Amino acid sequence: MMPLPGVLGALLPYNTLVVACGVAAVGCAAGVVGTLGVLRRRALVADAAAHATLVGVALALLVTGQRSLAVLLAGGLGSAILALGLLVLIRAVTRTRDDAATAIVLSVSFGLGIVLISGMVARGVPGSGGLERFLLGHAAALTAADAMLLGTVSVLVILAVAIGLKEATMVAFDPAFAAAAGWPAAMIDLVLVALVAVMVVVGLPAAGAVLVTALVVIPPVVARQWTDRLVPMLVLAGGVGLASGVIGVAVSSASPRLPTGPVVVLVAAGCFAVSLVVAPRRGLLARWRAGHRRGRTDYLLMTEDHR
Amino acid sequence: MMATWVSATPWEWLAAIGPMHGWAVATAAVVSACCAMVGTVLVVRRLSLLGDAISHAVLPGIVVAVLLGGRPGDLGVLVGATAAALLTVALTEFFHKQAGLPEDAGVGVAFTTLFALGVLLVTVSGSRIDLDPGCILYGILELVPFDTVEVAGWEMPRAFVSAVVVFLVVGSGLWLTWRWQVFTAFDTEAARAAGVPTVAVTVGLLAGVSLATVAGFEAVGAILVVAMLVVPAAAAELLVKRLHHCLLLAVGLAVMGAAAGYLLAWKLNTSAAGMMAVVLGGEYLLAVLVAPQQGVLARGMSSVLYAWRVQCEDRLAAAWRAEEAGQSAPLPASLVAAAAWWWLRVQGRVEPAQSGARLTSQGRRDAELIVRSHRLWEAWLGRHAELPVDHLHPPAEWIEHHLGTRLRQRIEADLGRDVRDPHGSTIPPERG
Amino acid sequence: MNKQAESQPGHPQQPTHLPATSPLQAGQPPLLEWHDVTVAYGRRPVLWHIDLTITTPCLYGIIGPNGAGKSTLLKATLGLVPTAGGRVQFWGQPLAAVRPRLGYVPQRETVDWDFPVNVMDVVLMGATSRLGWFRRAGRRERELARACLDRVGLADLAGRQIGRLSGGQQQRVFLARALAREADIYLLDEPMAGVDASSQEEIFAILAGLRDAGKLVVAVHHDLRTAARWFDAVALIDMRLVAAGPTATVLTSSNLQQTYAGRLGILDELSDAVARGDRTS
Repeated sequence: MMPLPGVLGALLPYNTLVVACGVAAVGCAAGVVGTLGVLRRRALVADAAAHATLVGVALALLVTGQRSLAVLLAGGLGSAILALGLLVLIRAVTRTRDDAATAIVLSVSFGLGIVLISGMVARGVPGSGGLERFLLGHAAALTAADAMLLGTVSVLVILAVAIGLKEATMVAFDPAFAAAAGWPAAMIDLVLVALVAVMVVVGLPAAGAVLVTALVVIPPVVARQWTDRLVPMLVLAGGVGLASGVIGVAVSSASPRLPTGPVVVLVAAGCFAVSLVVAPRRGLLARWRAGHRRGRTDYLLMTEDHR
Repeated sequence: MMATWVSATPWEWLAAIGPMHGWAVATAAVVSACCAMVGTVLVVRRLSLLGDAISHAVLPGIVVAVLLGGRPGDLGVLVGATAAALLTVALTEFFHKQAGLPEDAGVGVAFTTLFALGVLLVTVSGSRIDLDPGCILYGILELVPFDTVEVAGWEMPRAFVSAVVVFLVVGSGLWLTWRWQVFTAFDTEAARAAGVPTVAVTVGLLAGVSLATVAGFEAVGAILVVAMLVVPAAAAELLVKRLHHCLLLAVGLAVMGAAAGYLLAWKLNTSAAGMMAVVLGGEYLLAVLVAPQQGVLARGMSSVLYAWRVQCEDRLAAAWRAEEAGQSAPLPASLVAAAAWWWLRVQGRVEPAQSGARLTSQGRRDAELIVRSHRLWEAWLGRHAELPVDHLHPPAEWIEHHLGTRLRQRIEADLGRDVRDPHGSTIPPERG
Repeated sequence: MNKQAESQPGHPQQPTHLPATSPLQAGQPPLLEWHDVTVAYGRRPVLWHIDLTITTPCLYGIIGPNGAGKSTLLKATLGLVPTAGGRVQFWGQPLAAVRPRLGYVPQRETVDWDFPVNVMDVVLMGATSRLGWFRRAGRRERELARACLDRVGLADLAGRQIGRLSGGQQQRVFLARALAREADIYLLDEPMAGVDASSQEEIFAILAGLRDAGKLVVAVHHDLRTAARWFDAVALIDMRLVAAGPTATVLTSSNLQQTYAGRLGILDELSDAVARGDRTS
């Protein structure tokens, strides 16, 4: 059997292959980090961070005058983390509810990003024309060096999760127990959120600010349908993310009209639709069949009368 | 030039920028008023994120309706998109209830998927429909005045007409069901028990949100609609208590934000929709700062005032205790204490004497009440909180500043005829 | 001071089933001691001046009505919520020095039971929580976790996802996780809540076993009928300490009247005033 790059190399031109590798690495890492994020109920916090990246990307270009991906993404990471800080602050000093706070940070920071980008475009700031790519992603524009950067960050993030898995699991499952046992639960939680922010930023070129949340949310949800254990879930989510990336890039490269981001997201969503229906035990078919057999549809009731 | 612009009244601004801009501002104002109305109920019902999902999900609905021959801004497109939005809500509900997904993840999956689908449809159908990704995300309010229809002999922008229709529909819907909306928002279970059709109320609300979103979509795009739904409502909620006051204030804030955002954007030559969101964000920030009681400024002020009151009362009580022990009042030991001492003199509660200062009769009465509070609390704690005698003083130092007349009397009644505190000092009687 | 002496579980009147294994030597610091602990959420005080000492290993119940601040006391004891005043000491030492010797069982509803872990995974979290940063479970931890599962009678469910357990089983998983910390003091938050009667007896038997092995078990509990039977000593709490000491002497009708029937409006009113930084009426 040919190794994966060999197979793809036979199917895809070099440029597309480079892009596919970058996007696949990002998809994989986003799935892995997203698993912990989703389990910690941070799906929409990731969304707020994603929408906030535009401000930093625009400011990075404005301040440095450079258009290198690394600089722009560093700016995006800065503003994403700032937005998360703002979210924490709103929770601390106001009585605005969490969901409204998330929506406020998300929409206002996105508005600011749009204001900056439109203003820069109107004033002809060099390089500002391409910033709109960060809205919906434009993976086809990635160079080999860019793909390398995305790949490296993704691998580092996966390594970080692998190393800190015990701590991350403990805090994600039960922060109170972890804190009582002397672990700095709040700090570990913060690192976890920061990793999600990093993946959201790294996912920008692939899916864009509006859709990158899907890379963090959908693969874990797919994986959860198939397994009841954390490590298999992490692996599976990484795999779904990776596959969505590769297939999405391959499909969208078939036509210049097809945008990469939405195609990648729709591939992942296709996996979700299938898993939603056919997954063993958690799938709809299994639930309905089990409900039928027992004469009731409530899955939880069905399993709690074990004793 | 800047100076003349700043000094002009809003009316002069409008006259200066011409009828085209006037139509755009008017459209934006009506749209944001719609969004703020339904947004108020959405926010108090903790459904903000459903608003987020709906705003993204209307895209495929709009695109399909346009592909089927509708035109953006038409009523037919409005209805189609609303149907798509309601479908999304049903879908997230289904993911959560039937498939066991966490609520936030379900919303995340649903709206990203539908939005991706919408973007894909737009780009694939290309020139067949006049929507572009930019318009989807942040709207092209500036172009609204150029697509007009004739209504009763008047040439009006199509988007303005549909916005007004939506405003009337949503507004009258909310007005007719207002009591039910409030009851359901306050306590859904109780409302259902009282015979309110809560499901219908909720579906009606979400239909209103969808309509408002679709109306806003063309003007400000998918994501900035979220700002209009949630931000003015959240700001108003910080400022006033009653839900209908909230709604009116939110509408006011939204209209102001829309007008100011548009004018600022026109002046700074940037995206109008984006600027509206930023202005709304600014309004929210302002609300956070100036809100009564819970606001940052109000709380800061109340902390400072409290610290000052404690300082003054501590000075008074110290002087009273010194008198009780037959000594002269202790001199203030710090700058703040000296300031408090000066303030007490200004108020006529202490007066200069041969050796330093002494309490006036007014000051003595006030000081007595503080010492009375202190000793009553020590006595009460000693009886009710299982505290050893040497732990009683610090809590009383704190609580002496919080006891009022009625509570002091209750505590005294509770203690019975016991007129001494646990250290053996007499508790001064209530007078003054 | 007289009252204070009565509140010690080590009082001569203590029931005979208190273990004789660890007599309190003169000068030895008490196991667990709250000094004038006050806890506030924001500026609003919810617990006023708790002053309480536990000297002997025993089954100690913290009893009180809903909203009395029982769980808050436990959380403040473990440093999970900050105290507004006072201090907590274990064996005369501050919390930071003794964390490895404490086991905590939080309320069952605080976690997501749909989390993708099985029974064994959760108990292993208890065992590995004592290891250093980034160190994973080795053979010792696995054996320990298995032994703890055995003790709570769940060995045959080790591989089951935690959401597919009954309430009582879930509570026992939490207990096993705390056991795997091999602690000397166990702090349990409502261990009997939402648990059927037979499971309650099983859990109680495990806790009694811990007590007999010389451990101190402190449990927040709200059911008076079972409290009298299970606990060696109790503290009655209603925003402040009402009474403390051996169960039989504390659970008197006058104390219960004070705790349950006559909610002290005085403290509620004061809490409001303090939160506003203002005076009461």
